[in-house]
Amino acid sequence: MTTRREFLIGSGTLALGAASVLAGAGRAARGSTPGRMTMIIDQARCTGCRSCLIACKGYTATDTGHFNTRLLEEEDRHGRTHFTPVLCNQCDDPPCVRSCAAGATFKLENGIVVTDWARCTACGNCITACPYGARSADSRYGGRVDKCDFCRDRLQDGLAPVCVEACSAGARLFGDRENPEGGFATCLRQSTFRVLRPELETGPNVLYVQGRRYQQPMSGEERP
Amino acid sequence: MATDRFSRSRRTWLKTGVALAGLSLLRPQSAAASEASGTDPRTIQQAPVARNGGEVRVVHSVCLGCNARCGNRALVRNGRLESFSGNPFHPYNHQGRPVPYATPVAQTLGRPSPVCAKAHDSINAVYNPYRVLLPLKRSGPRGSGRFEPIAWERLIAEVTGGGRLFAHLGEDRKIPGLRDLDSDAPLDPEAPELGPVRNRFVFMSGRMQSGRKEFIDRFVKHGLGSINRIGHTDICGLGFRMGNLALTEKKAVELKADPWGASYILVFGANIYEALQPGVNTYGAAIADRSARGEVQFVIIDPRAQRAAVHAHDWLPVRPGCDGALAMAMIRRMIEKRSYNRAYLAAPNPAAATALGHGCYCNATHLVIDDPGHPDHLRFLRSRHLAGTDGQPVDERWLVVDGENNPVPFDSVERAPLDRSLLVRDGRGRKIRVSTAFRMMRRAVMAYTMDEYARFCGIAGRRIERIADEFASHGTRAAVCQYHGAGNYAGGTHAAFAVAMLNCLVGSIGMRGGYMPSGGGGADPLKGAYDLKKFPGRRRPRGVRISREKACYEKSSEFARKKKATGSGYPAARPWFPFTRGGLSVETLAGMDAGYPYGCSILFTYFYDPLYSTPGGYRFRSTLMDSDRVPLHVSIDTCINESNLYADYIVPDVTYAEGQYGWLTPHAPALRFTGVRTPCIEPLTPATADGRPYCLETFLIDLAERAGLPGFGRETIAGPGGALLPLHRAEDFYVRAFANIALNSGLPEAPAEEKEFVENNYPVARFRDRLTRQQWRRTCYLLARGGLFSSYDQVFAGDRFRYGLERVVLFNEELAACRNALTGERFSGTLRWQPPADAAGRPLALEDRDYPFALVTHKMNVHTQSRTTCHRWTMELVPENFVVMHVDDARALGLRDGDRVRIVSRSNSRGITGRLRTGRSVRSGCVAVSFHYGHTQHGASRLTVARAEEVFLGGAAVTDEQGLVPDPKRGAGLNPNMVSRLDRNLGDTPLIDMIGGIPDFSSTRVRVARI
Repeated sequence: MTTRREFLIGSGTLALGAASVLAGAGRAARGSTPGRMTMIIDQARCTGCRSCLIACKGYTATDTGHFNTRLLEEEDRHGRTHFTPVLCNQCDDPPCVRSCAAGATFKLENGIVVTDWARCTACGNCITACPYGARSADSRYGGRVDKCDFCRDRLQDGLAPVCVEACSAGARLFGDRENPEGGFATCLRQSTFRVLRPELETGPNVLYVQGRRYQQPMSGEERP
Repeated sequence: MATDRFSRSRRTWLKTGVALAGLSLLRPQSAAASEASGTDPRTIQQAPVARNGGEVRVVHSVCLGCNARCGNRALVRNGRLESFSGNPFHPYNHQGRPVPYATPVAQTLGRPSPVCAKAHDSINAVYNPYRVLLPLKRSGPRGSGRFEPIAWERLIAEVTGGGRLFAHLGEDRKIPGLRDLDSDAPLDPEAPELGPVRNRFVFMSGRMQSGRKEFIDRFVKHGLGSINRIGHTDICGLGFRMGNLALTEKKAVELKADPWGASYILVFGANIYEALQPGVNTYGAAIADRSARGEVQFVIIDPRAQRAAVHAHDWLPVRPGCDGALAMAMIRRMIEKRSYNRAYLAAPNPAAATALGHGCYCNATHLVIDDPGHPDHLRFLRSRHLAGTDGQPVDERWLVVDGENNPVPFDSVERAPLDRSLLVRDGRGRKIRVSTAFRMMRRAVMAYTMDEYARFCGIAGRRIERIADEFASHGTRAAVCQYHGAGNYAGGTHAAFAVAMLNCLVGSIGMRGGYMPSGGGGADPLKGAYDLKKFPGRRRPRGVRISREKACYEKSSEFARKKKATGSGYPAARPWFPFTRGGLSVETLAGMDAGYPYGCSILFTYFYDPLYSTPGGYRFRSTLMDSDRVPLHVSIDTCINESNLYADYIVPDVTYAEGQYGWLTPHAPALRFTGVRTPCIEPLTPATADGRPYCLETFLIDLAERAGLPGFGRETIAGPGGALLPLHRAEDFYVRAFANIALNSGLPEAPAEEKEFVENNYPVARFRDRLTRQQWRRTCYLLARGGLFSSYDQVFAGDRFRYGLERVVLFNEELAACRNALTGERFSGTLRWQPPADAAGRPLALEDRDYPFALVTHKMNVHTQSRTTCHRWTMELVPENFVVMHVDDARALGLRDGDRVRIVSRSNSRGITGRLRTGRSVRSGCVAVSFHYGHTQHGASRLTVARAEEVFLGGAAVTDEQGLVPDPKRGAGLNPNMVSRLDRNLGDTPLIDMIGGIPDFSSTRVRVARI
């Protein structure tokens, strides 16, 4: 947690401990190498167990009441609840970046959108600008803005984002879309994806595989 | 690339100059191994082992976020527990297929391994500021919430010796101590069958697991010699266990559909994406994965569209308490369409079933005496029944009929007629009416029409027929996953028996993809190099348990007395339970309340909160308040909860991160392993003068040594060469049990780096001097991997489960011989449908028809029953629970989503209040409320505790001069158990099933009104 917090506070002027890790980090995860870090969320596998949410909370220690990844739950007319895990989409054209007059939030070459707390003025414009509700003010740090960064510090150590490791059903996949490998590459090739709010043309890098269509259940509608 | 990354991170640690424990092993896997294994994005990246500097330790252990028993990998930094991930060796973390057991530990430390939300958040249970650290004695009347610390030595002296322990509070009563119960005198000279005075000691447990269970039994059953060490299986989920108990003739209680092999699963009241054992991390994940691949379809049968409905093929919103009617209707359909597995059912013996490729046979063809005039009516027809009186040896073999309707021994033919009723002649030529077990079952099933069953269970007949047809079309790859919801109510034994029978009818029991128990544990921990069972002076408990479980009323003095007086012997004062799995906590509390069949003198409770977690548990508040009914109550726990608020003493315990050693075997289905729990951090509780932490084991050892009970202290554990070794601290027992597991399973010696890994990382390594050097080295192999594991693929021989049952029954002779102790009526030995009823036999749906809603309860995926209100992150995510109602019902009542409502029942007219949530996820006519919320203790209320800052882990943050300062967030929401129906026929104790003693979670009816 310390490492991440240090990074958030001093992005660009990294604290010593993290800097040396960063220096050794490989490929796109490093931030200085081009890439397009992407998460695939397979809703046909998501059980709505919320392990990712609690693991993220424990790891990123966000402010009270805020979670960097959340679970949207929608009940359909048959009583079935559908789960959509959401997090920062690390957009190709991020509205938050455009809204930040201080230039504190920006996109790394690997596609991850970060906030430099040394420059963040806590104006909150980016929170309003984000159409996905992925940003929150951290009251413990003067309202500076927190968000998911795909666990960038873990990527630097060659680790998966904490939500990816927590997913027992394998519903979250992670990789670099420009250099896809293995099963991530297979999934990219073989699946059709949807993104959240495509009409906004933000270019989200969180892709959703939709669950298959199920036979409609008939809660309470059919009585003997 | 990978090499570069890893070497840099390692260099970073070295640069920081801190001492690194087990460094060589903490380094993630080699580049080559990473490249080889790292192609699947679901397992591609490295896990957070040993990052970010500081003194880092890693321990493989077993979770206790719930009772599912997943493995975990604890990351400890500078002595503080930092995070949990899973154990790559443990099948529960990897959908049944972990890394091969012989994989070097070093290669696994970097592998991602998932655990569920409860596991992540359990760190907040370890560092819960409301944890109790010092032993407490009440300093006001029971339940006043006034406590003061008591010195350890004094605690031991008072509990052992008793006396006028509360005279300073104006209570002049003499309290019994343990020594007073160390007597073989009969507790009731008029009823010697009840056993000795020792049985007045009652030990009740909440979340107890193997390891501590054996330790507690050593004290309670074999040290003091009381028969009353009683668990809480009844509130855990006795209903489905009773069905399986009947099906398997007590050979197994837990069987489930194999989620890795089944192609069609009927999920009867099993909350597979939110709870269950194995949990969502295992069973739910496997179902989700295979469902996404299109390999399995499943149907949710539950009044509530639980979260698994998202991937379900269909949802049948069955009426609560009526799963049995639905299962009977399905069986009726299968009989009428003859879609059951005829060849399988007609195989009368193991050889015949094996020849057909099955793992287990059933007694469908065996003949039952179906003749009310016969002395052995409703017993199996045996060869001896037909033999003459010519002095031949008694032949007890069961009989079937052959092709010519001649009775022949069951093992003499390969198949036998299934559906027959006929007359046979005994040795003296008298006719006996006999029927096959299948016919007995069929008769019971045909007692109601499809329409009648459909009306009972609230599901349209044509839907039942369609699901039954689908189920029968999948061969032996169709099975049931039944759990708490399927039989946790009055009448639940027969409901769950019918649900279990579905598997038998398709022949899937013991088959890949079918219905099966667990594969059991890997090796015996109690025997081998160290004898942890026997010891000098070991007592054997005897008599009748206070819960009357597994005891026969007809053998009691009470029965004889009443029979002499009235001719019948019935009714007993309360029910008895000759045919049950046991663990009847409700009837234990009811027994203490009524002093029946005898009174309790000393109650110990361990990690247990019955007033909160029992449906209708509020009824026993007055029991625990009353010093006549419970003269001495000692609670061993980590917190002050709703129940030990009434205790005389509270003994602090360690959490599973610091102790709670254990060997954990799998739940059903299929898998075979023994997980091993050892501490990841040092105890947070203080220690005795000789350095042993305040906890369960230290407490029991010190009591036993002071009271002179056998089994503890010097010269009690027989080791190699017959030397008698001491048992003076927990590790004397557990470390040797682990050695037994390692040696009995033939594990090799750990390689040097794995031995070093354990010694540098595991707190338990401090106690390696309990073993020989070679034993320790082999034990290290076990500890380094967190247990002894195998994979799903190793438990089958072809399609047959290796560790399955030999037989199951359509007619259970023992059950048919047992009687209801209140009425004297015999129980049905085969299936039977009956709506849930009270002890007088009155259907509850009719009795409470003025209460329009059925209340159903459930668990949430982020919580464990009663003890997770301290899970800080979860409480932030889900601050309260709701009263969930169908939107049409709400509209009819003029209620809206978000309204505050009150729920009242016949038994609790004051009721409980909460917020309404409307939708379509619950059957119309039902309201659903989850557990976990509505606490009044666990930090939710102010308590007057002396020296509170020292008593509670949170110190000044949660205390002031008066005592504990509550956190109102911990009391949010409502607890549905507070309105559960009580039975007016039984002294207003909670409703139960008359056969198994199953507490009723489904029959409470309520009214809901806006506040």
